[in-house]
Amino acid sequence: MALLSNPIAQKRWRRFKQSRRGYVSAWLLLILTTLSFAAEFIANNRALIVAYDGELYFPTLSAQYSGRDFGQDYDYEANYRDLQRHFADQKQGNWVLMPPVPFGPLENDLIDGDFPPNAPSLATGHYLGTDTSGRDVLARLIYGFRTAMLFSLILLLFNYAIGVAIGCMMGYWGGAFDLIFQRLIEIWSNVPFLYVIMIVASVITPGFWTLLFIMAFFGWTGMTWYMRTATYKEVARDYVMAARALGASGSRIVFRHILPNSVSTLVTFVPFSVASGITALTALDYLGFGLPAPTPSWGELLKQGTENLESMWIVSSVVLAMTLILMLVAYVGEAIRDAYDPRTFSYYD
Amino acid sequence: MAGYFLRRILLIIPTFLGITLLVFSITRVVPGGPIERMMTQAQLGGEAGSLHRSEGGGTLSDEQLAELERYYGFDQPLLTSYALWLKKVAAFDLGLSTRYQDPVWEIIRERFPVSIFYGVTTLILTYLVCIPLGLMKGIYHGSRFDSMSSAVVFLGYALPSYVIGIALISLFAGYYDWFPLGGFVSDDYDDLSTLGKAKDIFHHAVLPLIAYLAGSFAVTTLMMKNALMDNLSADYMRTAAAKGLSVGQSVRRHALRNSLIPIATSFGNNISLLIGGSFLVETIFNIDGIGLLGYEAVIERDYPIVMGILVISSLLYLVGNILSDLCVALVDPRIRFGGGRH
Repeated sequence: MALLSNPIAQKRWRRFKQSRRGYVSAWLLLILTTLSFAAEFIANNRALIVAYDGELYFPTLSAQYSGRDFGQDYDYEANYRDLQRHFADQKQGNWVLMPPVPFGPLENDLIDGDFPPNAPSLATGHYLGTDTSGRDVLARLIYGFRTAMLFSLILLLFNYAIGVAIGCMMGYWGGAFDLIFQRLIEIWSNVPFLYVIMIVASVITPGFWTLLFIMAFFGWTGMTWYMRTATYKEVARDYVMAARALGASGSRIVFRHILPNSVSTLVTFVPFSVASGITALTALDYLGFGLPAPTPSWGELLKQGTENLESMWIVSSVVLAMTLILMLVAYVGEAIRDAYDPRTFSYYD
Repeated sequence: MAGYFLRRILLIIPTFLGITLLVFSITRVVPGGPIERMMTQAQLGGEAGSLHRSEGGGTLSDEQLAELERYYGFDQPLLTSYALWLKKVAAFDLGLSTRYQDPVWEIIRERFPVSIFYGVTTLILTYLVCIPLGLMKGIYHGSRFDSMSSAVVFLGYALPSYVIGIALISLFAGYYDWFPLGGFVSDDYDDLSTLGKAKDIFHHAVLPLIAYLAGSFAVTTLMMKNALMDNLSADYMRTAAAKGLSVGQSVRRHALRNSLIPIATSFGNNISLLIGGSFLVETIFNIDGIGLLGYEAVIERDYPIVMGILVISSLLYLVGNILSDLCVALVDPRIRFGGGRH
């Protein structure tokens, strides 16, 4: 919040709010992301609430209940969709409240007399159809969005932390350190990192964190150039000289003076980094080098869709979802950039 | 100036060595290389052909293994084999593909025409469309035309080209069957007349070209527009307006040249795209270009091809960067590289 208290930041914030499209997009994106973190309550094969014999059960929150707990004749976990129908038939005052999407992301729902993928239908409750193994597309979209968002946000954190640290050091120390790291970064950013990930991923099946570390390992370079030039600019200014004259240590100057003054521009890059994180993860999943198999992901859905072109609902759901999210991100990015760089318009206006 | 570019050209050498050494080490450290592949193949072959192959039980003997390792240079330490590889590259020998047993250079060269076709067409179309469009959008900023075209440009800007490719192929090739499902030409290409051949290539190229274009299109258009708007607000435009020049005249005479500078900056970087292509787009449309070749080489652990493509693409990229600077220097006489600190 300290960053928001200075008048320049407040002015930028006002300008950002003035750009309606960006402001609305930011809210939408925030709401969608928050909702996706509560995905268990939106798409799940466990019921939200079960009212049975005058008592309320909350299967999404609590331990597993077996069928016997609700008066059924099986010991495995209760099938809440069947239970809902059953209770409705009985009309004994018992009821089940299912989430809006009554399917889990990993659950295979096989429909009698039909082979997956099943087309979207209101009757079966698969609003966007099922994929090739009978899993609900909408449920997988929601969980996949959460994975992608989480992934790209953590990746962004890593990339910026490393990039800012090294960029600052390059700008502050300069000289040989700067020169060596310039070459290093040039090498680093020229390595075709998708190839590297593919080579690594074809040997070990990377999990969420492995993939994140590999991508952060090659992804931090983008930020360093901006931080380097920004630090160079700041170091040459009078207040740094003044701080130095007062006897401030190097780390104090960097952390207390230079960073707060230059880090704010990083905000303009955040939306684009988020978008590129999502895009890269989806591409890797699409090629089959991403997250391990049952993990719901957009890329894996895209792959299924392109392999089953007659099942148009798979591809179109993912493409539409990606379009929506990436457009929102791009609108936010545009608005932030405008807030930072208000253009003075033509003299012909 | 000449000194600056000479220094830049010399700096290619350490960077190139760094990139290749890094990827070379990765291919070395990672298990599952060509020898392991051959062993599994030998095992499979041993099972299938067990009638006339009694000895060895399908696995390779230690001697055979050692021979294979020597053949691929795996018996030497990393740096030694890297030096050997480098020596061969310096003599323009990229080695043999482990998969096809053909020279890597020939395999790559075979794919050049396809990649260059897409690269050059994309580049030309991009500049042909984006510069005028960006100019129009800049001059008529805020107009209906501007906001209408912005919607399209923004879509191309937000979506990565592979997603656009997937959307296009599933809609227009999978669902509507208007275009072929991929490939560069049809199977009966050789029997077609010249006109038929051209039509066939065009028919196959429409969707991938749109996917390629969508990526560069939005960025270039926005760059052009923003540069023009920056220049429209510059002081010399005020002077031009005061002199009584119309918008069109002052843009043509003053702003246009300056607005082309940012475009010129990216020109050199397109060189690597010109030949490399995007392996994602090539994979989606099954186009036999360099991108698909590299992708398959990684999957098949055909490291000589991986390294060969890396050599070519990284050299192109590094040269492209310098070319970009040269273009900027040509367009903007104010810029003097290497004059002072930057």
